Amino acid sequence: MEPTAYAILSLHGVPGAESHVSQARSLLRSWRQANGSYHPSGQVQESTWVTALGVLLDAVFQDQSALQSADWLVGLRGSESRLAARLANFFHLTDIPLDLAHPGWPWFPGNSSWIEPTCHTLMALKKAASLHRSYRLLSRIQEGEVMVLSRRCRDGGWNAGTPVALSYDLRSYPESTALALLGLQGRSFGELPQALEVAESMHRDTKSSLARAWLAIALRAYGRQPAAPMEDLPSSKDILLTALQALGHPEGNFHLLQPGGMA
Amino acid sequence: MTIKRRDFIPLAAIGVASGYASLRPKEKPELLSDGPPGKSPVAIMRAQSYSDDLAALMYAGIQECGLDVRGKRVLLKPNLVEFDSATVVNTDATVVAAAYEVFQKLGAAKVIIGEGPGHRRDTLDLATDANYRATVSRFEDNFVDLNRDDVSPVKNFAQENEFYFANTILGADLIVSLAKMKTHHWAGVTLSMKNLFGLVPGSVYGWPKNKLHYIGIAESIVALNRFFRNTFAIVDGVIGMEGNGPIQGTPKPLGALVMGRDLMAVDATCCRIMGVDPEKVEYLRMASDLGHVKPEHIDQRGEKIASVQSDFRLIPAFASLRL
Repeated sequence: MEPTAYAILSLHGVPGAESHVSQARSLLRSWRQANGSYHPSGQVQESTWVTALGVLLDAVFQDQSALQSADWLVGLRGSESRLAARLANFFHLTDIPLDLAHPGWPWFPGNSSWIEPTCHTLMALKKAASLHRSYRLLSRIQEGEVMVLSRRCRDGGWNAGTPVALSYDLRSYPESTALALLGLQGRSFGELPQALEVAESMHRDTKSSLARAWLAIALRAYGRQPAAPMEDLPSSKDILLTALQALGHPEGNFHLLQPGGMA
Repeated sequence: MTIKRRDFIPLAAIGVASGYASLRPKEKPELLSDGPPGKSPVAIMRAQSYSDDLAALMYAGIQECGLDVRGKRVLLKPNLVEFDSATVVNTDATVVAAAYEVFQKLGAAKVIIGEGPGHRRDTLDLATDANYRATVSRFEDNFVDLNRDDVSPVKNFAQENEFYFANTILGADLIVSLAKMKTHHWAGVTLSMKNLFGLVPGSVYGWPKNKLHYIGIAESIVALNRFFRNTFAIVDGVIGMEGNGPIQGTPKPLGALVMGRDLMAVDATCCRIMGVDPEKVEYLRMASDLGHVKPEHIDQRGEKIASVQSDFRLIPAFASLRL
């Protein structure tokens, strides 16, 4: 689902691409379940984090069915929000101190929260808020934002889940940092200026094409120009990478990942 | 007072290099048994550097272990982790290239290289940075990103009703774990058995393999090795990683390849080489019905452990594992 979803976003509004976009949307809609959640492919009979991509797309296309899918996401939370986990954390019975009062979202229902699925979901729910704002939706968004902010690494970026393990600082990852910035859009958090500087530095230094594409999207979403010269779009067989590079292009559709309807 | 994770029986906080804890009831590790009948051959081959004739060493080691791959579809599973070509985080490209050459020479019907990295998602970029593309013959034609391969459901994995694996894995007759000899700040060590984490598709279970960390790291290592029984291990210990592995550790030149059909015995041997007591490593204790850990049940071939042994530096949390 992921490559197709981002291909749709990158082709949105591109003259001549309408029928391709329509066909791709139909395929993804065939993976939508009666409760609004999405399966990641036709082969997998489980609903996962990709529901966030479904919500994002439906909201971009002003499709009201995004709200039912958003509702499924609002009801989903990481397993760390369970009582046993919170008690263990409260009594310092683990050596990974975390703020568990504000749950994020897992990749897979029933599992613990991580930065990336939380930020995909934040982007989706903020987009869905442009269709209909509710207290439940907005408060869940706020919970997710607090979770993301509480997991920031000492170096100013984000990694997959925690800034510290066994008393060692863990370094941040460019993809996670880009997604965290995208998830935190629409609000004026004090942490953002430094995080954006980190993202700019990562964009210059990373060897990962995928990370560079996500960082370009994030920086442009915040009105910043990535410092490194934009490379020509590669003739890659990797649809996901190509779609993200197109989204992060100066004339790309990165704005579709910006929130709508947020205060 | 903080109770350390592995001492905390009712609840287990499971995290990863850049992940964090989930908490759930945890199985008490089994007492170490003698394992299955017989002895497991494990070959230690001395390789002072990556410019040695690794293919010849590997060929000799595989023969020592009595592996027959004729007509089989072989999946080589390296440990491809991070963009860090200046260090030793990944299985070295020369080891992958040598294995590719040797398994073809041994008569495998097909040799495929597959990996599903746990942290980074652009696997081909990782492979390029790790020199796989430049070093391994026809790499792109024979490589599958296991994170994004088509998948099929299986039954009886861990305690899951259904679990998805890449079709490339399910179609393989033999999985060769081309692991790196490293310390690991959650599992103590990461060797051939932990390397099977990369078989789990990120496209379904997330990065870094969310579901496995929820099940539990040691539990998942055991479950993967219990499910995939047609395996062989070649551990890259030419230069290993010590300290705060598996990503932020430091290089540890050792000069050895360790291989065998019993992954438990291979990992136990690697532990002894690293100065780690394998009988204290949680996943080896939990899996002790799958293979051999005790030295009297391991038939050491090639070099003796003592001839290559060198203590790997352990972080304080794992000091108690020291042999």
